[in-house]
Amino acid sequence: MGRYLFHRLWQSALTLVLASIVVFVGVRALPGDPAIAMVGEEGDEAALAAVRAQLGLDQPLPVQYLKFVGNALTGELGRSTRTGIPVTQMIGATLPVTVQLAVYAMIIAVLAGMAGGVIAAVYRGRWPEWLANGFSLAALSVPTFWLGVLAIVYLAVQLGWFPASGYVSPLRDPLRAVYYLTLPAMILGVAHAAVVQRQTRSSMVDALNSDYVRTARAKGLGRAAVVFRYGLRNSLIVVTTVVGLQLGGLIAGAVVTERIFALPGVGKLTLDSVFTRDYPVLQAVVLVITASYIVINLLVDVLYTVIDPRIRVSGRST
Amino acid sequence: MVLRGAGCRPFRLIAVAVAVLLGSVPLAGCVPVQPLAAAVAHHDDLGTPVGDRPVSEGGHLVMGLSNEPDKLDPTTSTSLYTRYVMTSICEKLYDLDATGGIVPQLATGVPTISPDGLTVTFGVRTGIRFADGTPFDAAAVRTSLQRHLTFKGSARRSEMGPLTAIEAPDAEHVVLHFKQPFAPITAALADRAGMIMSPAALAAAGANFGDHPVCVGPFKFAGRVPQTSIDVVRDPLYYDAGRVHLDAITYRIMPDTVTRAANLRSGDVQVANEISPQDVDALAKDRNLHVLQSGSLGYQGVTINTGNVDGVGKPPKRIDTPLGRDPRVREAFASAIDRQTLVATVFNNWFESACSPIAPQTPYASPASNACPPYDPARSRRLLAEAGVPTPLKVAMQVTNTQDQLRYAQALQASVAEGGFDLRIVPVEYSTLLDVEIRGTFELLQLGWSGRIDPDGNTTRFLGTQASANYGGYSSPELDDLLAQASRSTDTARRAELYGRATQVLQRDNPIVYTFRLRNLTVHSTRLTGIEVYSDGVVRLARAAFVRDQEG
Amino acid sequence: MTTLAVPVDASPARTRGRALRTLLHNPAGVVGAVLLLVVVVGGVLAPLLAPYPPAEVHFTTPFQQPGTVGFAFGTDDLGRDVASRVLYGTRTSLEVGLLSVLLAVAAGVPLGLAAGYWRRLDALVSRLADLMLAFPFLVLAVGLAAINGGGLGNAAIALGIANIPTMIRVVRAETLRLADSDFVLAARSMDAGPWRILGQHILPNALSAIIVQATVIMPAAVLGEAVLSFLGLGIQPPAPSLGIMLSDAQQYLFRTLWPGVFPGIALALICLGFNLFGDALRDALDPKTVSEGR
Repeated sequence: MGRYLFHRLWQSALTLVLASIVVFVGVRALPGDPAIAMVGEEGDEAALAAVRAQLGLDQPLPVQYLKFVGNALTGELGRSTRTGIPVTQMIGATLPVTVQLAVYAMIIAVLAGMAGGVIAAVYRGRWPEWLANGFSLAALSVPTFWLGVLAIVYLAVQLGWFPASGYVSPLRDPLRAVYYLTLPAMILGVAHAAVVQRQTRSSMVDALNSDYVRTARAKGLGRAAVVFRYGLRNSLIVVTTVVGLQLGGLIAGAVVTERIFALPGVGKLTLDSVFTRDYPVLQAVVLVITASYIVINLLVDVLYTVIDPRIRVSGRST
Repeated sequence: MVLRGAGCRPFRLIAVAVAVLLGSVPLAGCVPVQPLAAAVAHHDDLGTPVGDRPVSEGGHLVMGLSNEPDKLDPTTSTSLYTRYVMTSICEKLYDLDATGGIVPQLATGVPTISPDGLTVTFGVRTGIRFADGTPFDAAAVRTSLQRHLTFKGSARRSEMGPLTAIEAPDAEHVVLHFKQPFAPITAALADRAGMIMSPAALAAAGANFGDHPVCVGPFKFAGRVPQTSIDVVRDPLYYDAGRVHLDAITYRIMPDTVTRAANLRSGDVQVANEISPQDVDALAKDRNLHVLQSGSLGYQGVTINTGNVDGVGKPPKRIDTPLGRDPRVREAFASAIDRQTLVATVFNNWFESACSPIAPQTPYASPASNACPPYDPARSRRLLAEAGVPTPLKVAMQVTNTQDQLRYAQALQASVAEGGFDLRIVPVEYSTLLDVEIRGTFELLQLGWSGRIDPDGNTTRFLGTQASANYGGYSSPELDDLLAQASRSTDTARRAELYGRATQVLQRDNPIVYTFRLRNLTVHSTRLTGIEVYSDGVVRLARAAFVRDQEG
Repeated sequence: MTTLAVPVDASPARTRGRALRTLLHNPAGVVGAVLLLVVVVGGVLAPLLAPYPPAEVHFTTPFQQPGTVGFAFGTDDLGRDVASRVLYGTRTSLEVGLLSVLLAVAAGVPLGLAAGYWRRLDALVSRLADLMLAFPFLVLAVGLAAINGGGLGNAAIALGIANIPTMIRVVRAETLRLADSDFVLAARSMDAGPWRILGQHILPNALSAIIVQATVIMPAAVLGEAVLSFLGLGIQPPAPSLGIMLSDAQQYLFRTLWPGVFPGIALALICLGFNLFGDALRDALDPKTVSEGR
């Protein structure tokens, strides 16, 4: 297992370096001069030149890249060209929000999804299965932003059950923080709950039909015990994989959710920085997101080895 | 296909449903057409100041702001929305009043102009302090104005005109020296160029003043969460603190119009700006909400590239397309736009059609500047035929990809089709648009301008030869002369006459085809009073207050 | 991952024939197929079925209710007929989905085959896939839109790229599984070259998994286009797409809900159709496989 882990670590590091190069080059490939975007319509040549020198845009690319990496490693990520605020401060303020939203959404997704999957597997062929599957299909057929807007209009405005927007820091007031984040997390988590539900149902059905379970039942083991001991354990492997794969989708979903619910998260920051050609912010944010994705993937793989002993032994995934 | 057993039932259900759906289509056509709402005269409601009415003291106001302000530094800021926050924390030498006139705020009176027009003197308040305790005086004013003029990266330099020197001969007076008379200076000092910053804060923070701005104001800066919100709290050192009622204001950034409207209705924000014309009617019906409206000072229009080949500010060169070289084709385009109908359909009649850069509610308007050429698609086709251009003429228009802009562009496309134009819409994002307009890589550009109090700010920089924002590369010595005369004159009536003549030139050459003018639509909760919005569209919250409960 | 029992001597064609029959007995699969048929017919025949051109503006009749004279589904904010736009929008959404799938297949299948067959290439391809997966798809889409302007092509490319990694994974898994099977070993013992093995033995057997994955990508691409349009990066106006119609309708929700209902239903039908049909297909072809991630 140690060898496998080392292998994965090395792979992740390589991916991270490649990602940083792609980000760096990609950002500079975007048309539109960031100096112009920053100074806007009211500046003149002198102002533009000053900004370009300040951003270091007048130097050759490899030099810029090395400077960027060097600075990044010491935690110096520059200042936003639009608001002048240090990038580390911006990310420090927004990343926790997105992480909270994503984690909350994932918790909802896993709980609701697994519950739905178990119901569908256990009550196979009867109406609870149809209901659970129906919900999942519906959730996968509607875009997140549409669901979010409808939720705001009906649940927040008409019924007043939830606030229509806003964010409260959990450090300041944990209960209110959860309350404000519930509706966005539900909307974000709905599609992922559907995916988890389908996977759980599928693997549980397999498990429940497999030989060793049938043997256990024949020996008199109760229904519930079978479901929980054998079925869920098997599903856990699948769910873990799914969770890992879903994270990319969560970022995309978070952008939309953050925008509709006016949440100060990293998704919105990413989008805005592309629109305003805010290079320092864009580079840093994309790198942070990519790095977290790579790290989480690594963690999922490690988790995988814990749950599925076959990997540990063979040293290969799948 | 063989289906048997239980498998049939769902299939049959679906078949029935589809049949019902298809069968109901012929039934369509039983509801009569619902006509457009008739055009309604809009009366400005700028808000009522609190005055002497009894109100609650204290309270925390939350505003839904449509766009994020840029750096909170009056010298470098270029965003309209920064002004919203600055009205609460950073007073100016002069300010706008409800009638659109200019009144002193930190200055003590209207500026005195020397007979030759080259020296401008005004007095400033004494005995007041900045939010950090530093005393306010003429020297501090001089420091700020000097920074606006000379700071590298200052966006205010061109607004201050041919200013050569700033003096503070004593603690109460400031003197400005100009190379040529410059009438718009008072209006410039009623905008960001007139915001005075604390010299102590400037000395300490330098270029990073915007991280934590300190000025004179009813409120002071408390904190900012990027992309999210800006907090300001009451300033006890303010010279008129007795008339400030709120404890704190939070500006929450909400770019979506629906989000702002939803939050107003749910009460999560108490005031929001730039309400969409689609939402206003529903919000107006809500008894807990009140709508404030005023005509904008700016305009929305289509800029045509008539000479920008090498970049903005460079000498114009000939553009060899029908639109670029032949004023008849441009006139045809202008006649093919049914401004009235567009505004009725797209904006629910909340906005007004416009045919010149001079806002009709200002003292600089005249019948000549308000005149609008009639919608005449037949004339458009005739002009195109005269110009020897094959119809339909294919043209491409770049548009910022925000929803309102795109909607209008699509309506415009349909409108000009009648007149013989095949308009292609090219949506681009804001950064690309800035690039395009500066480089001149466009044929048509849908652009708007938020508007300045002084009409010079709405004309010269966009239409003057080689001016800094003349993206179309237009050059007309006749127009240059009219605009220069108008900026040197201090007689409002004379200026109005000159701008009227300028409009006639513009409507002949059509370098910019003006299409409509927004109304500033702001909605606030009826629990609040004292919120005001003037023609510049800036929402003034500084002296607002929560209403005292009637039931004690 | 659970293993698979596939009879070694089954030809791909016979497997598919059996699958088709199983499919037709599955009610959910049939429902899915019918929905897909309705949607595809609607999209393909849009020019014939639509009463008005989709971009035709009717200034005097905006926001008409469904059932108004001349407008079966009502009109939108510019007076355009919703029914016509839904038909053309379905067509566009299907085009985007199809293009993304083709891109994912064209890039993902060869890479997946290579990764599964040659161990040395596996590391390289897996790194590439990880890299593609690590980037937020939205940033990619925004970047492409910024470079090339928005539009159908760019949306399809961004969506396609986002789905290449999963296609690679699926094909790689299938290749790994099939590379050890008897008939491949037999072919190798007869000195068949790698291309022949890949082309004649592995690819046809992997086709089922590829098709199933394609039915997974389609609804994701269609929904992805809706999100891109919401952010202003998708199909360019006045061309209709279901995503643009929904995002437009969202702006005036407080005025009227109707213009958003019909594109929403159309979108849901497309996704439901692909999901149901895809599920049934997967069950019919390989009842014991746990599907690869989305």
